[in-house]
Amino acid sequence: MRESHIALLRAASTEAKLLLIGIPVLVWTLLPIYHMFLFAISPKDSAFSGKLWPDHPTLRNFGIVFRQEHYFLHHFWEQLWNSLFIALATGALTLTIATGAAFAISRLKVKGGRTVMNLALFTYFIPAAFLAVPMYRTMGVYGLLNSQWSLIIAMVTIATPYAIWVLKQTSDNLPVELDEAAVMDGASPMQLFRLVYLPLIAPALVAIGTYAILLAWNEYLYAFLLLSKDTAITLPVALGNFLSADDSPWELLMTTGFVYALPPAAIYYAFRRYMVSGLTAGAVKS
Amino acid sequence: MASAVTLTEPESSVAADGARWLTPWQFWGIVLLIPYLIIFTFFVIYPIAYGFWTARHPHTYVALVQDPIFVRSVINTFLFLAIGINIKMFIALLLSGFFVQARWWIKWLSVLFILPWAVPSIPTILSLRFMLNPEWGVVNTLIFRFTGEDGPNWLNDPAIGLTMAVAVHIWKSLPFWTLILISGRLAISADLYEAASVDGATNTQKFKYVTWPSLRTLYLTCTILSMIFTLGDFNSVYLLTGGGPADLTHVLATLGIRYLRIDQVDMSMAAIVIALPAILPLVFYMMKRLAR
Amino acid sequence: MASVAIRGARKSFGTTAVIHGVDVAIADGEFVVLVGPSGCGKSTLLRMIAGLENITGGEIKIGDRVVNHVPPKERDVAMVFQNYALYPHMTVAQNMAFSMKLRGAPQAEINERVKRASEILGLGPYLERFPRQLSGGQRQRVAMGRAIVRDPQVFLFDEPLSNLDAKLRVQMRTEIKELHQRLRTTTVYVTHDQIEAMTMADKIVVMHDGLVEQIGTPLELYDKPANQFVAGFIGSPAMNFLKGKVKVNGSATFEGPNGVKLPLSQAPSSSDGRPAVYGIRPEHFTIADDGAEAEIVVVEPTGSETQVFAKLGGEEVVAVFRERHQFNPGDKIRLKPDQRVVHLFDEATGKRLTA
Repeated sequence: MRESHIALLRAASTEAKLLLIGIPVLVWTLLPIYHMFLFAISPKDSAFSGKLWPDHPTLRNFGIVFRQEHYFLHHFWEQLWNSLFIALATGALTLTIATGAAFAISRLKVKGGRTVMNLALFTYFIPAAFLAVPMYRTMGVYGLLNSQWSLIIAMVTIATPYAIWVLKQTSDNLPVELDEAAVMDGASPMQLFRLVYLPLIAPALVAIGTYAILLAWNEYLYAFLLLSKDTAITLPVALGNFLSADDSPWELLMTTGFVYALPPAAIYYAFRRYMVSGLTAGAVKS
Repeated sequence: MASAVTLTEPESSVAADGARWLTPWQFWGIVLLIPYLIIFTFFVIYPIAYGFWTARHPHTYVALVQDPIFVRSVINTFLFLAIGINIKMFIALLLSGFFVQARWWIKWLSVLFILPWAVPSIPTILSLRFMLNPEWGVVNTLIFRFTGEDGPNWLNDPAIGLTMAVAVHIWKSLPFWTLILISGRLAISADLYEAASVDGATNTQKFKYVTWPSLRTLYLTCTILSMIFTLGDFNSVYLLTGGGPADLTHVLATLGIRYLRIDQVDMSMAAIVIALPAILPLVFYMMKRLAR
Repeated sequence: MASVAIRGARKSFGTTAVIHGVDVAIADGEFVVLVGPSGCGKSTLLRMIAGLENITGGEIKIGDRVVNHVPPKERDVAMVFQNYALYPHMTVAQNMAFSMKLRGAPQAEINERVKRASEILGLGPYLERFPRQLSGGQRQRVAMGRAIVRDPQVFLFDEPLSNLDAKLRVQMRTEIKELHQRLRTTTVYVTHDQIEAMTMADKIVVMHDGLVEQIGTPLELYDKPANQFVAGFIGSPAMNFLKGKVKVNGSATFEGPNGVKLPLSQAPSSSDGRPAVYGIRPEHFTIADDGAEAEIVVVEPTGSETQVFAKLGGEEVVAVFRERHQFNPGDKIRLKPDQRVVHLFDEATGKRLTA
C-alpha cells in the first residue's frame, strides 16, 4: 500500500518535472508567432495593449492585405507569386541537378565523382552570407541583376551541395546488386536511372525538394540583394521594405508575415515524415 | 620507344576494349554531372575568384584593420559564436533528452517545437522586433503596467541588442539541432540502457556512461557545423538591429552588406578573406567527417 | 542453350591479380558448380562470364562467340544474385517482366512467359505482391523466375542459397536441380558450400587462390582428389591428414607421427622413405583388432552416425561410424583405415601420389 503510494508520488513528480520543462519550451517557441498572430487579428489601435487576446478580434487586416488596400501592399499578389515561382523553380532545378549528380557519383561511379562531391561539400560549408556580395557582383557581371533567374540560380547554387550530399548518402545505401541485376536485364544507364533509381530514392527526393523550396521561399538576404523592382521582388523583401518607412502599418506587416509563414509550416507538416528522416539521417551517421 | 609500344599494346588494347561496355556509363555519368559543374564554375568559382581579385590590394586590409567597426564586428562575431553556439547546443542536448521521453503531450510539443525552423525568418524576427520596441512594444508595455517604470531601451543598447540577436538565432535554429540530437539519442541501442539499469545505474550515470560517449562525436560535429552556419547568419542580426545602434552590433555576416552599401566592395571582400584562416580549418574538419 | 569455354582467363584489380589463368570447358546443358573458399575468385569468374567484370586476359566464349568485349545485355545470360536483387518497387510480375520490357517485347509474349515461369516455380498466387511481402524462399524463386522468363543461353547463380536458413536451403537445392533437369539450360553455379556442390553439380570446378585446383564430377573429386587442398575441401567431416614417411619393405606401409604404422595397399614407385601426407576420410575407418591404437577425446552422436575425435599417434583424427558403439572419452580403440581408399600426397607440393 505504502509502496504503491510512493511509486505514484514519484511518477507524479517526474511528470511535474517534465511539465516544468515543457511549458517554458512551448511559450518560448510560440511567443513570437503568437504575437504576430495577435497583431494580425487586432484592430489597428488596440494591437499594442499587451493583452493575451484582443477585445474585438477581426479579420479586417487580412481583407486589407488580400485586396492590396495599402500602398505598401499594392503588389502583394504579384510578390507572393514571385515567391512561389522562385521557390518552385529552385525546387525543380535543385532536384534535377542534384539527382543527376548523385546518380553519376554514387551509382555510375563516374571518374572524378569523388572530387565533385568534395567540391560540393566545400560549397556547402561556405557561410551563405559570405558568398552574397560576390554573388551580387557576379550577377551584375552576367547582366542578371533584377531578373528572377538570378535569385533562382543563387538559391540553386546554395541548395544543390547539400541536396547532392543527402541523395548520395541515400543512394550509397541501395544495394549495388540492383544495378547489376538491371544491367543483366539489359538496362541502359538512363533506363536504370528512370526505372530503378528514381522510384527507389523517391522519399529522399520529397525531402530534398521540400528543403530547396523552403530555402528559397524563406530567403531574405539574396532576394533583397539581387531583386529590387517592386514587381520583381519576393514578399520577404517587400516586408523588409516596410521597415525603412516611418509610418509603417505594423498590423498589416504582421498580417502579411503571418500569411507568408503559413505555406512553409503547412508544407513542413505535410512532409514531416520525409523531412526528419531524410535530412537528419546523414548527420547522425557522421 | 617502339619496343615499349609493342610491349604494352596487348594490355592496353584489352583494357580499352574491356572498358567498352563501360563507356555509356561513364558518358552518362559525365553528362549528369555537367549541370552541377556549370553551376559550380559560374556561380561558386567565379564569384570567389572575383572576391579575391577585388580584395587583392594590401592597403584595403590596412584600412579594414583600422576601421573600428570591423574590429567591433570581429569581437561581436566571436562572442556570437563562442557564447551563442555553446548555449544553443547545450540546450539542444538537454531538450533532446526531454523530447525522447514517451508522453503523448511531448509528442505534440515536439511537432510545434519545429515551427521556428520551418517558418521564414523575416516575419518572426520582425514580430520580435516589435515586441521589443521601447515605446509601444508588448514587453515594455507589460513592464510599465507591473512596475510603473519604463523598460530598457532594448535594441538601442548594443549589449542588449547583440544578446537579443543571439536569442533570435537560438530561437530559430534550436529546433534543427535538437532534432539531430534526438535522432542521435534514438540511434543508441535500448539494450545499453537496459544493461545499465540492470547494473543499477542512476539517470545521471546513464547519461555519463551511455548517452554521452555515444553522442560526443555527433555533438562536436554539430557544434562545428553550427559555427560555420552561424557565421553566415545574416538575418538574426540584420533584421533585428540592422547593425545598429551606431554600427555597434554588426557581425561578419552583415558587415559585407554594410560595406557594399557605402560602396566599399573591396573592404567587404577583405573582411571575408581575413576571416578565412579561422573558418577553413573548421571547413576541412567537416569535409573530412562527411566525405566518406 | 550454349556451351561456355573459358581459356586462360585472368583478372586483375589494379595491380592485384585475383585470377591467374583459368581454363574451364562447360558443355551445353551442363550444371557446373564453381566452389572454393571465400576469396578464391569464383564469384569474380562468374561475374566475368556475366560481363559485370571485364576480362584482363584470356578469353571467354559463350556458344561460338568470344564475349570478352560483349556487354552483359548482349551475352544472353541471366544471373541470380546472392541477395536476390529484386526491384523493391516492382511487383513479382513486374520484376520478372522487366528484362522483356526493356527489350521491347510485345505485352502478350511477356504475359505468356511470366505466366509460364510462375507456373514452373509455383509463384502464381504471388504475382501482384511486392518483394517485401514475400518470404526468403519466395524471393529466391522470384529471382530465378526473373532468369527463367528470359530463356537465356546460360544461367548464372552467385551463392543463391546462402541467405536462406538451413532447412530451406536443402529444399531449394533440390528445386534448382529439378529445374535444371526440366529446362536443361547450361548453368554455372557459385557456392562456398561443398555439399551444395556435391549434390547439385554435373561437374565441379574447385578453385583456390585464383587457380583451378581440379575439375571433375562430384564422385571423381571425392574418390580421387588431385591434391591435398581438394581432398580437404571436399567431404564432411574433412579428410584426416597425417604426416610421415612411406616405407617399402616387402609390403608397403606408412609410418605416421610417433611411429604409428598405417597400411598402404600399394606404394607409388620408388617411394621408399619418401616424406608424404597420408589422407583418410573419417568414414573410412573401422574398428579392428589390427588397427592402430587411438585414445578417444570427444564423442558426438548425431543419431544416424557417430563422430569420434581421437588421438592417433598424438595427432587428432576424426572417425565416423554408422553402427553404434559404446564410446567414452579416454577409451582406447583400434582404428583401421580401409587401405583401398587411402590417399597419399606429396608433402611439399600437396600433389596426389597414389594412382
